[in-house]
Amino acid sequence: MAQTSQRLLDPHIVSKLARLDLRARLVVDGFLTGLHKSPYHGFSVEFAEHRQYMPGDPLRHLDWKVLAKSDRKYLKQYEEETNLRATLLIDTSASMSYSSHGLSKLDYARQLAASLAYLMLRQKDAVGMFAFSSGRGELIPPRSTPSHLRQLLVLLEHLQAIGGTDFASSLHALAERVKQRGLIIILSDLLDDPERIAGAIHHFRHRKHEVLVFHVLDPQEVAFQFEREATYIDLESGERITTRPQELRGDYRSRVLAWMERIREFCVEKQADYVSVTTDLPYDRALLEYLSKRARLL
Amino acid sequence: MSSLSFLNPGFLWALPAAAIPILIHFLSKRRLPEVRFPTVMFLRALEPREIRRLKLRELLLLILRTLAILLLVCAFARPSVEPKGAITRAAAAVAVVVDDSESMGAMDEQGRPRIDGARARALAIVDAARPGDEVAITTTTGPDASLSNHVVDRLRLERTVRQIAVTWYPGRMEAALERGRRFLGRTALRSREIYVVGDFQATNVTRGAREKLAQISRSGVRVHLLPLVSSRVPNHAIEDLDPELRPGPQGKGLELRARLVNHAGSPSERLAIRARRGDVLIGGGDVALRADEARWASLPIEWRAGAATGNGRDPGAKAAVVVESDVDALAADDRWYAVLGAPRRLRVLRIAESRAGAPASRFTALALDPLQDGSSGYAVENGTPASLLGINLARCDVLLLEDIASLSGDAEARLRGFLREGGGLVVALGPHADPDYYGHKLFPGVIDLALEGTERAAEGQPFEARARIPGHPILEGLSLDVGSPLTQSKLTGLLRGRVTSAKALAVVSTTGGLPLVVAGPQVAVFLSSLSDDWGDLPYSGAFVPLVRGLVDYAARATSPGAGDRALVGRPPSARLDNAPAGAVVVRGPESYRAQAQVVSEGSGFRAVADAPAPAPGFYVFDAGTRETATVAVNPDPIESDLQPISIDSLRSGAAEAPRTLLTLGSLKTHLRDTRQGRELWLLFLMGSAMFLAAELALGSARTLSP
Repeated sequence: MAQTSQRLLDPHIVSKLARLDLRARLVVDGFLTGLHKSPYHGFSVEFAEHRQYMPGDPLRHLDWKVLAKSDRKYLKQYEEETNLRATLLIDTSASMSYSSHGLSKLDYARQLAASLAYLMLRQKDAVGMFAFSSGRGELIPPRSTPSHLRQLLVLLEHLQAIGGTDFASSLHALAERVKQRGLIIILSDLLDDPERIAGAIHHFRHRKHEVLVFHVLDPQEVAFQFEREATYIDLESGERITTRPQELRGDYRSRVLAWMERIREFCVEKQADYVSVTTDLPYDRALLEYLSKRARLL
Repeated sequence: MSSLSFLNPGFLWALPAAAIPILIHFLSKRRLPEVRFPTVMFLRALEPREIRRLKLRELLLLILRTLAILLLVCAFARPSVEPKGAITRAAAAVAVVVDDSESMGAMDEQGRPRIDGARARALAIVDAARPGDEVAITTTTGPDASLSNHVVDRLRLERTVRQIAVTWYPGRMEAALERGRRFLGRTALRSREIYVVGDFQATNVTRGAREKLAQISRSGVRVHLLPLVSSRVPNHAIEDLDPELRPGPQGKGLELRARLVNHAGSPSERLAIRARRGDVLIGGGDVALRADEARWASLPIEWRAGAATGNGRDPGAKAAVVVESDVDALAADDRWYAVLGAPRRLRVLRIAESRAGAPASRFTALALDPLQDGSSGYAVENGTPASLLGINLARCDVLLLEDIASLSGDAEARLRGFLREGGGLVVALGPHADPDYYGHKLFPGVIDLALEGTERAAEGQPFEARARIPGHPILEGLSLDVGSPLTQSKLTGLLRGRVTSAKALAVVSTTGGLPLVVAGPQVAVFLSSLSDDWGDLPYSGAFVPLVRGLVDYAARATSPGAGDRALVGRPPSARLDNAPAGAVVVRGPESYRAQAQVVSEGSGFRAVADAPAPAPGFYVFDAGTRETATVAVNPDPIESDLQPISIDSLRSGAAEAPRTLLTLGSLKTHLRDTRQGRELWLLFLMGSAMFLAAELALGSARTLSP
């Protein structure tokens, strides 16, 4: 069972499903099933109704008063109390289209966003979405209705990685538009000046938003495991550089790791949560990070 | 000025292969794959710093690969460089003299037969020959035919060299050098060389050979000496066998006398000597020899053991006997063939004259044949100078002139005729001998000895005779060490003599250096008196052995036709008592068959084969179906002394000192340097490998770097 749930979190397996809503359900259900076995004990909820006890149900949710009164075993069902407003910010710049193993960064971000949205709506949280590229973007304000998921998924389905990233401008603009404070979840490769990124995060923090950054990268971007000499073309600027990867690999890695560390430090400095994920990692890590963040917020 | 050339220039066509790395480099540049990547900002930051280093490394790799291929191709083309001043471009005439004498069958200092080393050197010389060169090969025992000048045919020359094998013959270095000299003298080529390969045995390198080498060098030929050994190799040999059986100690049993020689500077271990008659062992014994000692050793034998029939006490019955010893450095001289039971009897004509009514002294006659019955092995006939004209000298083996003043012209002419026919001559001078006659008339053409008058010893200070060559055959009967006195007797007079060429040898001389016994081919001269005119020599113990030694030496030095003792390389001959009925055929080892010519000799006949004996062994003379005689043929003992000369001694008289090449490696280096130029293919190959290794190292460092 645990193995099956783990497989359901594998980006490559999930990506084989055609419908995004199914994929999101698959990921979240798989994640929750795995969570059930884990020491993580979930989140606080409001009581909703009773349900008859079935063998195998946890005894901690047994309603002892009912048992004492009626000698019948009922479980207490809870409904989550929600006042969380989350906005998913998805980078759709051209660099997000890169894929070294079949799953692009945008695909990964799209799937992760769908899963998060599904999970949040299951928890009765309000979810909004903003896909941005080169300063433009379409904002879907946060709502918690179950039908809202469909709207979000339609937007996600139609996302395309085009154009450059003007990360800072896009976020600054959004920070001005989102008045009600909430959770800002950024899914991006953050290919911009780290200080400008820090400025944008600071803007959100200034507006009392909580910020969770998912730094989505392709494994090749970090490892640079190319063998042959080749001409490398920048997906956003079109700049071409011919080089021997084996000659530069060491220095390249050092530089990338330093750049990631710098972004992480900026995030810490701005009290934002930073999660680095590569597109070959299962989604559970990202989901866990979200739940952890939510638990801290509520 | 050194210049580079290629011995296999055909491979240079592969030089364009060196362009392959360059082509690959540029082709790979043109077909670079394109990779779309999220951002190149990190590469951009790195590129300027790395680009110069990368380009430099790339250039270095390209150069290394190109050089590696270039050098590899050149290595296959066999590059060679000529040393400054070498005459290597012009074709050369090369004469190769290979010693194939019996001693070349001995082991060299590496434990291989010397002839193997000689062949290897000759092959190296042939291999170094180039088109246009003229190369001729001759051996020291080869025929005297002229060497033909022909442009090098390497295959034929190699076949010739491979066919060179050790012979049973003594080397004739002088003749071989002369053949080489004539060959080089006929060539039109300016560059001429002679290579002499052999063990340079002292007995082969005669004075004539030395002079020939100097003559060759003076004619502008570069002389190269290739000695195979540098020091003496200990060797013992059986040199002779007394065909007469003698009574053993106290008259019991029989003894066989074998002459053994130890050619070594140290005493020999005990040699086990065996005598066989057919396949049956008939006797033998152990013999120890001192350093450089040559002596007759008596071996007890059981005659009856080997006799198929007949009386065991009858030594007169002829029998083919082989005496052999343990094999040592030279196996060829560790066996001796002899036909026993045919005692040698030398016929000596002693010419003396009575003076002042007193009969001539008879000391020498008594020394040779004390019982006057020939049982001692010597049959002595006495005569006078006048009787020389009437006696049939063909019946004599040795003529002994004893204190004769001079000979008449006719007598001298007969004596010279006797010598030409192979007779031996012993001249004992004395107070009556005329120094002018002997020094100026008789000796010229007979022996190279000049006489300068009579020398008398001072009162109370007689001449003391000392052996100069202890192992000389004349002194065989005397047990002498180097420099030991010949006799204790007092010699009061002698004729002052002087040896004028190397053909004559002073065997015994006085303490003051005056020669007393001089030996030459067929001739022995005693420069004092063999009677008691000048001292008491006839009464000393040395007298009999000395007189017999003089006679034996003169007899032994006679031509082989004079006796039944034959050497390999000469036609076997046998003395027949009766005229054979029909043609005489000779058969011997190695399928030898030859016709024999029969001539009258004294009271009997002599059959001489018409072909030389090719190998040691017994040769049987058949007249019709009957065996009439058997003779033993042995190798010449002259080859047994494995003493090389000092190569430095060959430098005298040469226009340019002969070059000595001690090892095969040094010869090959020399040939490479002078004939082909110094070959550099190995250097080029190593260079190529080095560049390749550097390329790999540089490449590995590149890929391993973090």
